[in-house]
Amino acid sequence: MPGKKILLVDDEKVFTENMTRLLNNRGYDVTAVDRGEDALQLIEKEKYDVVILDLKMPGIDGIATLKEIKKLDTFTEILILTGHGSIDTATEALKLGAYDYLTKPCGIDELVMKLKGAWERKESMEKKEMESKIQKVVESPSAVFDLFPKRK
Amino acid sequence: MENKKLDSLGTYQENDQRQKKYYSSLFSKLIGLTLICSLVPLLLVGWLINIHYSRFAREKMIYHIRTQVEYHSRIIELFINERSSKLILIAKTHSLDYLGRQPNLSNLYKIMNEGQRSITDLGVIDEKGRHVAYAGPYDLMDKNYIDAQWFKEVMKQGLYVSDMFLGFRKEPHFIIAVKRVENDCTWILRATIDSEVFRSLVEDVRIGKTGEVFLLNREGVFQTSPRFSGNIMDKSSFRMEVPHEGTDIIVGNYEMDIQEGPAGFIIARTWLNVPRWMLVVKQKKSEALSEVRHTNYATLIFLHISALVILAVSVLITGYMIRIIQKRDRQTDQLNEQLFQASKMAAVGELSAGVAHEINNPLEIILTEKQILTDCLERSIEMDGEFREQLIRSLSQIEVQINRCKRITVNLLRFSRRTGSIIERVNVNQLLKEITELMEKEASTSGIEIIMDFEHLIPPFLSDPSQLQQVFLNLMNNALDALEAKPYGRIFIKTILSDDKKGVEVIMADTGSGISDENIEKIFDPFFTTKPVGKGTGLGLSISYSIIKRLGGEIFVTGEYGKGSEFHVYLPFELPAGVSKKMETR
Repeated sequence: MPGKKILLVDDEKVFTENMTRLLNNRGYDVTAVDRGEDALQLIEKEKYDVVILDLKMPGIDGIATLKEIKKLDTFTEILILTGHGSIDTATEALKLGAYDYLTKPCGIDELVMKLKGAWERKESMEKKEMESKIQKVVESPSAVFDLFPKRK
Repeated sequence: MENKKLDSLGTYQENDQRQKKYYSSLFSKLIGLTLICSLVPLLLVGWLINIHYSRFAREKMIYHIRTQVEYHSRIIELFINERSSKLILIAKTHSLDYLGRQPNLSNLYKIMNEGQRSITDLGVIDEKGRHVAYAGPYDLMDKNYIDAQWFKEVMKQGLYVSDMFLGFRKEPHFIIAVKRVENDCTWILRATIDSEVFRSLVEDVRIGKTGEVFLLNREGVFQTSPRFSGNIMDKSSFRMEVPHEGTDIIVGNYEMDIQEGPAGFIIARTWLNVPRWMLVVKQKKSEALSEVRHTNYATLIFLHISALVILAVSVLITGYMIRIIQKRDRQTDQLNEQLFQASKMAAVGELSAGVAHEINNPLEIILTEKQILTDCLERSIEMDGEFREQLIRSLSQIEVQINRCKRITVNLLRFSRRTGSIIERVNVNQLLKEITELMEKEASTSGIEIIMDFEHLIPPFLSDPSQLQQVFLNLMNNALDALEAKPYGRIFIKTILSDDKKGVEVIMADTGSGISDENIEKIFDPFFTTKPVGKGTGLGLSISYSIIKRLGGEIFVTGEYGKGSEFHVYLPFELPAGVSKKMETR
C-alpha cells in the first residue's frame, strides 16, 4: 500500500533511520520522531495513516501517547513495536485501540504485512463511518449539521 | 528439596559430625541445667532436713535417757530415805531400855517386815560396839563392831548408809545405822536392808536389748549386778570422779578410751545424795539410735531414688526435646534452601528480563541493517557472482542467528514470568495424553516406548494449562534427549493422588543417561545445560521450576547417574492465594 503516510515514533535513532529507509524503499512516506510529545504535535497538524509506536521512551511513554493519539484522531491506526514487550502492556494497548502488537526484533516483511492490515482496517472503519453518516442524513436531513464538528 | 540429600558426600559427613557435636553439647547443657535446677535444691533440702531431724531425734533420745536415770535415782533415794526415816523414827521414839530387850526388838522387827520384806535384820549396839539386842536370821550377838568403818562413821555423823559389803555373813548387803544419844548414853540402831528387794529395784529395770542399769560406789565397785558388765562387788572399769549434782550424759564414740566409758555406748549417770552412789544407765548407741538411723536411711533412700527418677526423666525429656529441635532445624534448613533457591530465581528473573529487553533493541537494529543490505542487493545488478552468493548466505545466516537470539529472549522473558497466564480447569491426565501424542512420533522413530499409568480419580482443578503444557513438554524433551545416546529406551509417565489427597504428583521417569551428582544441584539453575552448544538454552528446567513454584507446586529430581532420572512434579488442587486472585481480576 505505497504512498501511505507513516509516523515512526522511537527513541532509537539508528533504528528510526534504518526503518525509514526500508519503508521508503517500499514506497511509504515515513516521518520519524524520537519522542511522544513530538509525535502528538505532528498529528495535531497533519493526518497519518499508521503510527508505529515504541512503548518505552523518554518523556511520555507509548501507552500515554497512544491514548492521546486516539483522542486526537480515532481513525489513525496504531501499531506497537517494542523491545520491552509483556503480555500485560500488549493487552492494555489492544484495549486502548492499537491495531496490533509486535515485539522487536521484527522483520520488515512482517511489519509491512501488519501495516497493510492496519491500513485495511482504517479503510473499512472510515467506510463504515461514512455509511452511517449517510444513513443518518438520509433518515433525518437535519443531522447534516452534525457532520461538521464545531471548531474551538 | 530432595536434591539437597545428594550433597557431595565429604561436606555432608563433615556437616553431620558438626551437627552431632552441637546437639550433644546442647543435650549436656540442658541436662546440666535441669539437674542444677532440680536435683541440687532437692538434695540440699533433703540433706538439711535429714541432718536437722537426726539432731532432733538424738536430742530427744538423750533426753529420754536422762529422764530415765533421774527417775530411777529418785526412786532409789526414796527407798533408802524411807528406810532411814523409819529407823530414825524408831530410834527417836524408843529408849535403849525398851529396845535393848530382845522380845521388844523382835516384835519391832516383825512389825517392820509385815506386808513387804524390807529389812534383813535389826540390831541395837551400844557405844562400845557390842550388840545389846538383835533380831534377824543370823547369830551375830557376839560380834563387836568397834573397829568397823560404819561404826566409826555413824558415831561421827549420826546417820550412815553403808556401801554394799560382804561382812560376816559373806553376802552382799548394806546397812543403815542411826545414832541415838539418850541422857548420858549413846546407842546405835542398825538395820540391814534386804538386798534382794533393793537390788531388784535396780536390776529389774530393762531398757531395750542392750540397756542396763546399775549402781557404783565412789570407788567404782558395783553395788548391784549389771546385766552384762560384771557382778556385784566387782570393780568396774569406770573412771570415777568427785560426786557432784546433776546428770552427765556420755555418748561414747567407738574410738573412745575404755577409761572414758565403754566404746559405742550411751551412758547417763547421776550421783545419789545418800549414800554417795552413782546410778548408771547404759545402752548401746546403735540400739538407742536405731530408730533415728532407720528413719534416716529411709529418707535418704527415698531422696536418692527421687533424684534418680528426676535424672532419668530429665534425660528422657531432654532427649525428646533435642529430637524435636533437630527436626525443626532440619525443616528450617530445608525452608532456607528453598527460600534461597526462590530468591536466586527471582534475582535471575529480574536480571534476565532486563537483559532480554535491552538485547531486543540492538537485535532489531541488526535486523534492519540486514534488510537494508538485502534491499541494496536486490537493486544492484552489477556484482561478482561469487561475492553475491556469499553475501546472500551471510545475510540469511544473520537472520537465522537473530531468530535464535529472539528465541532466547522470549524464553528469558517467559522465565521471568513477564508473560501472562490463563487460569482454567485442567485435566492433568488429558493434558499429558495430548503431550504424549505430540511426542509419540518422534519417540517411536528413535525406538522409545512411552508408558502411561494414570490415576483416574484425579479431579479437574484450576491451574494454567498452557504453562503446564510447557513444563511437561520440557520434561518430555529432556527425557527424549537423555535417551538419545541409547538405541532404545522407555519413558514412564505416571500420575498419583498425593498422600493428603490435596494434590497430584506427576512422575516422569526415563531410562536414559541420568544426572551426575555434581549436576543434580544445578539443573534448575538458569543457563545450566549439558546439551551441545546451540541446542538448549539452559532455561527449560528453570522456567519449569518457576512455573511450578508459581502454581504452588514442587518439582524435584531423583535418579541414578547412568540409569535414568525421575522428575516429580507436585501440583496442589488449590492454587496459592496470589495466583487465583490474579485470575479473578482478569
